[in-house]
Amino acid sequence: MHIVVCVKQVPDSAEIKIDIETGTLIRAGVPSIINPYDHFALQKAIELKKAHKCKLTVISMGPPQAKSVVQLGLALGADDGILLSDRAFAGSDTWATSYIISKAIKKIGKIDIILCGMQAIDGDTAQVGPGIAQHLAMPQVTFCEDIKIDSKKIIVRKLIDDGYEIIEAKSPALFTMIMPKDFEPRYPAFLDIHNSLEKPYHQWSMCDIGAQEQYIGLKGSPTQVDRIYPPPKREKAEMISGGVSEAVEKIVDIFEKENFLKI
Amino acid sequence: MPSMDTISRELMLDSLRNYAKKNLFHEFLREKDANNEFPAEILKEMYDQSILGVHLLLIPKEYGGISGGTFDVYRVCEILARIDLGIATGVFATFLGTDPLSVGGTDEQKEKWMTRIAKENLLVAYAATEADAGSDLVNLRTRAEHVLKNGKLIGYKLTGNKQWISNGGVADVYSVLAMAPGGSSWFMVEKGTEGFSPNKHEDKHGIRLSNTAGLSFDNAYIPKENLIGGVEGQGLTQAQAVFGYTRVMVAAFGLGAGWEALEVAIKYSQQRIQGGGPLSDKQGYTHKLIVPNAVNLEAARAYIEEISERLDGGEKGLQTEGAIAKYAATESGNKTAEDAIQALGGYGYTKDFSVEKIKRDAKITCIYEGTNEVMEMTIFRGRWQEHLKTRGRYYIDMADSLQSLHLESPEVGADLAALAARALAVIMEECRAQRLTRHQHITFKLGKLISLAELAFIFAKRAAAVEYTETIKFDRNVWQAMSRVYAKNAALQIAAEGIALILGAAEKDIDLAEALNFNTIQALQKGLISDMDLIASKLKDTFKAK
Repeated sequence: MHIVVCVKQVPDSAEIKIDIETGTLIRAGVPSIINPYDHFALQKAIELKKAHKCKLTVISMGPPQAKSVVQLGLALGADDGILLSDRAFAGSDTWATSYIISKAIKKIGKIDIILCGMQAIDGDTAQVGPGIAQHLAMPQVTFCEDIKIDSKKIIVRKLIDDGYEIIEAKSPALFTMIMPKDFEPRYPAFLDIHNSLEKPYHQWSMCDIGAQEQYIGLKGSPTQVDRIYPPPKREKAEMISGGVSEAVEKIVDIFEKENFLKI
Repeated sequence: MPSMDTISRELMLDSLRNYAKKNLFHEFLREKDANNEFPAEILKEMYDQSILGVHLLLIPKEYGGISGGTFDVYRVCEILARIDLGIATGVFATFLGTDPLSVGGTDEQKEKWMTRIAKENLLVAYAATEADAGSDLVNLRTRAEHVLKNGKLIGYKLTGNKQWISNGGVADVYSVLAMAPGGSSWFMVEKGTEGFSPNKHEDKHGIRLSNTAGLSFDNAYIPKENLIGGVEGQGLTQAQAVFGYTRVMVAAFGLGAGWEALEVAIKYSQQRIQGGGPLSDKQGYTHKLIVPNAVNLEAARAYIEEISERLDGGEKGLQTEGAIAKYAATESGNKTAEDAIQALGGYGYTKDFSVEKIKRDAKITCIYEGTNEVMEMTIFRGRWQEHLKTRGRYYIDMADSLQSLHLESPEVGADLAALAARALAVIMEECRAQRLTRHQHITFKLGKLISLAELAFIFAKRAAAVEYTETIKFDRNVWQAMSRVYAKNAALQIAAEGIALILGAAEKDIDLAEALNFNTIQALQKGLISDMDLIASKLKDTFKAK
């Protein structure tokens, strides 16, 4: 069985700052981390690999420094690492990104399971995982918190609004993983990081995966970002105290004052 | 050894930071500090190959390690110091303890001990210091007497006492310096050796999570295979061969402790509202307690990185450079920690905030691995030789190269750094002409001025570089402003202190102001305040309070 796990390098949201004047992210000094949902998916993939002796490939797309998240995957236990990196990929939206990743996965060959984080903490779209499945015409289950392999079946626990569903799937299929509250990310030991340099690692370009230029990068992206800005700060809420009738009176006063009651 | 690739190094640092985030939070460290307790379980985990295996950095690959270079070790030491300088010292002692072996050990000895240290996660101690032998090891009293069997040497009996040995009470193996019949020599001594026992754990001012103890040897038998290098009398050479490198590690401790304290202060200053606004917006506060420290620490970083790269490139020794790095970074780290307490006012003086502990911890970096006064002396001796050998050209050549740098990169303060170097050349030459180095005070002060000039040189050079290392958290214009501020201060301090030194000791009247270009140095102070304003504002952006 061959598992592919997709990971993304993102700025650490705890450290993120926006330059209010220019409306751009301040990148200087902001550390990059593996997207936490992907980290969970990666750890789940490693558990499956250990339990079922699967082959595990970790794949990412980004600038050359995104090699870091691929190497993290290798150090934690993946067998193969692939970074999709090409200037032509720059500016790709979720559609183009999922197209590029799907082309790379096709190049890998026969695979059985694709794991993704449910979304990335920088864009929060949750579209790339499902996009890959669509491009590959593969079944998908989103928002999974657990995954198991039982002979030929893949059994996942999918979180829904008022509980969870247990879903059985046949391979090949794609799953996006949520991150449970008690998730404790593991980090590799020094020696594992050092030894990961010996594992197979590839950097693939547009040509390597046979992606078509009109479907990638800024030009190939249906979504265009207009601008980025921090949400306006909310004004302080006014707390109303007292009994019910007194409170209602105060609220109605405010409504009248603010012209909320005029038709 | 060349350093590893940036990505691998950063991944290791991330693992270390995340381990600390999970296990070494303020309350834990505070409790251990209060109880003067060595966290044995933490060191065990940090050495565990499946958890972190920090010690493997120092062990060559062929013995199961990862062959880290100086740059890697500097970064790990910096991050360790940011976490806790006591724990950092425990790890450092293992680094230091394996050094005599790496420098002087035979292949069989390296194979045996390095492999064991790597695989069995052994904690090592470096035992050189005695009551009468600190940096001056000539008065070494611990003896190693020959043990003969049928007239053939089979081992040694060690007798004597060591003091202030980091990991002294908890190490598994010790490298011990003792006087053998053929001269000072290093021996590998295992814990539990008969006749050898550690003494009580010292009650220290700081680094209280580091175990420090004396060692007693009473006819402790050591087999001859444990004489490092197999030849007696190599002890001091082996000890000195790694000073360039080991002092870079302590320099990184000063840097890490200083930045940790400064970050706390910068964040605090944004939240503390006084006189209608946050302290971070008040020049009287930032330009005294924050900005000069950030500048000095970054100058030290530039210097540490330069020396690390040179050592990784294969240069040997670099003892003077190691001393400059250690001196500059630990003086700055200690001063920053002190200012951080001031910056937090009453809060800083309590144990609720970490700066009080950092200050107590940071002080040791000015003392161990050679006190900073020994560093001043070492720096002076090293560069005085260069001054004499080059007939006074050493700093004139440095000034000339800085002048050329200024033409290419006028924004890094290389003109001021050139004036600093030129002024230093004049001062040193005047000291030679008037035989002023007979005053020890002047030689030590020259050590300080040399450090200022060389940091200004390296800071300007690295601030002008096309690419910065991944450690620089600031945009180019900010780091370059820092370099300018450093150079301005260095030139002014060298000229002013140099005049005071020479006039204070000289027998004849002399006017040095012109020779030192004092007027130009003063004139080029222009723009200092606006540079400091920029740095203050960017420090606030870079270390935003949550």
